[in-house]
Amino acid sequence: MGKHLITLTVNGRAEEAEIPAKRLLCDLLRDDLMLTGTKRGCETGTCGACSVIVDGRLVKSCLMLALQARGAAVTTVEGLAAPGELSPLQQCFAENGGLQCGYCTPGFLMAASALLAQNPGPTEAQVREALDGNLCRCTGYSGIVASVLAAAEKLRGH
Amino acid sequence: MRDFEFLEPADVAEASRMLAAHGEDCRAYAGGTALLLALRQRLVAPTHLVSLGRIPALSGVRFDAAAGLRIGALTRHAELAAAPEVLRHYPMLAGMAAHLANPQVRNQGTLGGNLCYADPATDPPTCLLGLDAEVEIASARGTRRLPIGDFFVDYYTTALAPDEILVAVHVPPPAADAIGRYTRFLRTPAEHRPLVNVAVTARRSGGAATAVRVAVGASTPIPARVPRAEALLEGRAVTAELAAAAAAAAADDIFAVSDGRGDEAYRRAMVRVVLRRTLAALFDLPGE
Repeated sequence: MGKHLITLTVNGRAEEAEIPAKRLLCDLLRDDLMLTGTKRGCETGTCGACSVIVDGRLVKSCLMLALQARGAAVTTVEGLAAPGELSPLQQCFAENGGLQCGYCTPGFLMAASALLAQNPGPTEAQVREALDGNLCRCTGYSGIVASVLAAAEKLRGH
Repeated sequence: MRDFEFLEPADVAEASRMLAAHGEDCRAYAGGTALLLALRQRLVAPTHLVSLGRIPALSGVRFDAAAGLRIGALTRHAELAAAPEVLRHYPMLAGMAAHLANPQVRNQGTLGGNLCYADPATDPPTCLLGLDAEVEIASARGTRRLPIGDFFVDYYTTALAPDEILVAVHVPPPAADAIGRYTRFLRTPAEHRPLVNVAVTARRSGGAATAVRVAVGASTPIPARVPRAEALLEGRAVTAELAAAAAAAAADDIFAVSDGRGDEAYRRAMVRVVLRRTLAALFDLPGE
């Protein structure tokens, strides 16, 4: 089986990798590019821990071949803030009990980022719907929803 | 997952020749949200994937007042849900696509991929059957159109020949007095695969419903119309009693599956409830 040379932009940086066709986008990010913020959870498209943004679209990176991201602009959780810093959204997760063990958190942050980019003033129902593809087994979601609503308010300048 | 060759034909004829050349060792690839799971579990282990992503003819959503709606097979669910012409002329279809599965799958999965995979527990097949849709199929040998009811053959099986590709879905133009409603029933909100789904369309002129279509899926191997329920409603002013009778007929008549997600009796009971409620909402009936 042949290898493929792919180029893409990840968190604003041009990247290149030589990969087999079967390489999943989540594995490219974690194993080839060493961006381990993106988590592999269920690997069956259920849990959303691997969520990233590809050309503005929130996707599950375990349900996508890396080859499908050729030439794309990918944002992972590492791209939300400079190293050592927290974005306003991340800060709100910390302040509102939006995480416990933290394993699902990168996926929730990406889903929330995608939502807030499209809809700066979501209702609680819209937040819950936008997080429908992500599972958390610790917090029970109330803290996560509160975090996203708080971030929306903060980002709108209140 | 075993490795494979990733082929990227530029047009339908080239894709068709590739599919024909590799036969059973080959699968057509669109968004990947369903096929990647099957590959991972080695339910299928093709040596070649024929990616359709570079074929322009498979893209785009177009509406024409005379011809109706043409949805390119590679249209993602989220694109379908947001397309202005779909929202305006086919709100039932847009609403179905807006709530299918979850946001990530809607952003990556395609309508054509969904239909070709022919998973029984999914939304588009039943909705499109209720809308009298047709599928446009092409190969290097030519093109053909099929009513969508003839496209689904059995669980995970379609009428596509090995060298054929689903190019587009066509939905006829809606009548001025067209009404329709699609309902999915999930066992729990966290489960994204419907246990039962129902699509009802009709024309409502004066008090009577005509051209009634009742389609039931997800609890059947393939979605199916229910002629006895349609006949009960056709030409009548739909009342709560009539809706209940049609729902009972549908619950009796469908070929209900029985599996770990729900046994036959449960599925029939939910078909009855979901169809009755769908009819009540569609015809503004009291008491639900």
